[in-house]
Amino acid sequence: MLKIIIPTIMLIPLTWMSKPNMIWINTTTYGLLISLISLFYLNQPNDNTLNPSLMFFSDSLSAPLLALTTWLLPLMLMASQHHLSKEPLTRKKLYISMLILLQLFLIMTFTASELIFFYILFEATLIPTLIIITRWGNQTERLNAGLYFLFYTLMGSLPLLVALLYIHNFMGSLNFLMIQYWIQPLPNSWSNIFLWLACMMAFMVKMPLYGLHLWLPKAHVEAPIAGSMVLAAVLLKLGGYGMMRITTLLNPLTNFMAYPFMMLSLWGMIMTSSICLRQTDLKSLIAYSSVSHMALVIVAVLIQTPWSYMGAMALMIAHGLTSSMLFCLANSNYERIHSRTMILARGLQTLLPLMAAWWLLASLTNLALPPTINLIGELFVVMSSFSWSNITIILMGINIIITALYSLYMLITTQRGKYSHHIKNIKPSFTRENALMTLHLLPLLLLSLNPKIILGPIY
Amino acid sequence: MKPPILIIIMATIMTGTMIVMLSSHWLLIWIGFEMNMLAIIPILMKKYNPRAMEASTKYFLTQATASMLLMMGVTINLLYSGQWVISKISNPIASIMMTTALTMKLGLSPFHFWVPEVTQGITLMSGMILLTWQKIAPMSILYQISPSINTNLLMLMALTSVLVGGWGGLNQTQLRKIMAYSSITHMGWMAAIITYNPTMMVLNLTLYILMTLSTFMLFMLNSSTTTLSLSHMWNKFPLITSMILILMLSLGGLPPLSGFIPKWMIIQELTKNNMIIIPTLMAITALLNLYFYLRLTYSTALTMFPSTNNMKMKWQFEYTKKATLLPPLIITSTMLLPLTPMLSVLD
Repeated sequence: MLKIIIPTIMLIPLTWMSKPNMIWINTTTYGLLISLISLFYLNQPNDNTLNPSLMFFSDSLSAPLLALTTWLLPLMLMASQHHLSKEPLTRKKLYISMLILLQLFLIMTFTASELIFFYILFEATLIPTLIIITRWGNQTERLNAGLYFLFYTLMGSLPLLVALLYIHNFMGSLNFLMIQYWIQPLPNSWSNIFLWLACMMAFMVKMPLYGLHLWLPKAHVEAPIAGSMVLAAVLLKLGGYGMMRITTLLNPLTNFMAYPFMMLSLWGMIMTSSICLRQTDLKSLIAYSSVSHMALVIVAVLIQTPWSYMGAMALMIAHGLTSSMLFCLANSNYERIHSRTMILARGLQTLLPLMAAWWLLASLTNLALPPTINLIGELFVVMSSFSWSNITIILMGINIIITALYSLYMLITTQRGKYSHHIKNIKPSFTRENALMTLHLLPLLLLSLNPKIILGPIY
Repeated sequence: MKPPILIIIMATIMTGTMIVMLSSHWLLIWIGFEMNMLAIIPILMKKYNPRAMEASTKYFLTQATASMLLMMGVTINLLYSGQWVISKISNPIASIMMTTALTMKLGLSPFHFWVPEVTQGITLMSGMILLTWQKIAPMSILYQISPSINTNLLMLMALTSVLVGGWGGLNQTQLRKIMAYSSITHMGWMAAIITYNPTMMVLNLTLYILMTLSTFMLFMLNSSTTTLSLSHMWNKFPLITSMILILMLSLGGLPPLSGFIPKWMIIQELTKNNMIIIPTLMAITALLNLYFYLRLTYSTALTMFPSTNNMKMKWQFEYTKKATLLPPLIITSTMLLPLTPMLSVLD
């Protein structure tokens, strides 16, 4: 694992010591090289994990997320080039260092083998994200957004710390590889119910669950593009990954403790999808669509069947790439007209046809078109929730319809129709932007050819 | 103050604390406390204005009362055990009196009212000495009598201190009062595990002293005592704003900074002793502390407040203020987390 971590650490001196006109090129290139190394971890032996060291390991649950994280860093750097072009050099380097630091913490989080180590790094990812949102966001609301983001997550995760230390005391070790063999069923008692709640609430807030999702639209909207990308693509998946890891310890309480959260997720995904239909702010629409997709993942993780875990994994990877791509598209609009309102920049297909192609593909993957991995994820989740309870198919069906509705609404509002007059002289698409969209879309489409690698540990 | 006088006074302060830490006879400990208190009064009154006089008077009254209470506890212990040695306090009444006296010296709730007012009335340097050095002596006595302390009393004081420190600091814009409330909170965390594992108290004290020293030195670099003057720092010393950012996050106890180590260890020790609700409550209330530290960083590092000049940055002269040992202090206050396995040296 050090072969990924040490190069990522060394990216920071690379930023600070490169020539001013080479900082973007150097960091993006080496970021791409590091992501190549992480692809090796996708080759997992069956029913086993790769254990390179005492502290780090990777199995088929964490390897796809690791690949997603390392793939996203060069993409974030490419996306940030424009809005940072006018800043002084030191601030550019600081921004890039924050992104690299966040990447480092995320890599270590996904490969941590001990649960307290995972917790420390889980919390550590908050600091660079907070700095990116609050320092480089664009509107005054970013201060509030940073506060909501930090405090919602911390309120959920401090009980997790106490719960982890308690579990450490009675189990003897929190090393994930060893706990698998020592798990005993948790007896049903009030204190165990609180233990379950303490363990899960941190990840529920992070996902986010519908009632605790208030931080997400704020944070996603106010963050600069790299912040939005990493928040949507990776940080939400931290919640899903954590939930998948920690539910192994919490049987059989999950059978009945999951009901309130299932109901909140099932209802919440319809609610947030419906809110998307009435949004005027483009980034806010994509943020709420993230909540809706993540609610599906919560449902899948709480059902705890093999198909639902496969669906959750596929959905996490697919949603990461799709959401990040949608934020990049929204940002390309924002950089031209400096407003997030959808209807201000209509009819872009006439002016920027290639970008319209990317918009079309992104919207199609967002609404889970076959044969993309988005569909595989959603389909597996829908089928497993049908087997859990037949009635959920109604809610899932309504959600799929509304998802399709708002994705097409977003596409049609921004791309089709007559263009608005004031955008006639926007700059044409940069090659950088087209490359960015391609790099998002290519893994997504290629994975639909071989989804086995992202289907997780149960495959 | 003339240098010879300053040297004698500083030496007396240090000797007083040393005598407290190194003696085993209760009378000598009391003598050490009195020496310490009398010598620090001129330090508190360095600036001769009514506010400083009021602060020193309040400090003197509370510390003298606490010393007398301590003496009363010592006498009761003498009555019941017949010896002056500071090992085991056989009588619970004596133990409670001593605990009350020492917590009064430290500024734990409900004896915390003097801390913000005294810290506000004095200069930054005196405030630094007050909040760091002055905590060592009472803490060392609490460490030595820790087997006989009444857990319920101290845990209650600790819990209320964390609550008071969190809520009290919320409405403050004066930096010295913010540091005072931060001190009350951290003393609360320390008092919580004295009876369970005193080593963690020493860890917390060490890290707290390091972090507070760094914070005060950064404030002194700019001579800023209000949030407003701190917010002008981006114009003068931009690097210091980043330092204040990570230092404040470390004081608030965010991983992966070293301020997280004491919180983690304390919660671990408390859960080992089957207390679950109290550490959860303390941890969540410490978030209030984090809120006002974060507010400080918002105005200092994460936004660019309107400043008094029209240029992007002020003309940068060389630093003439002495910031003793600032780089090592900042590094230890923020980056010590990977060294947590080395805790065993504290035993």
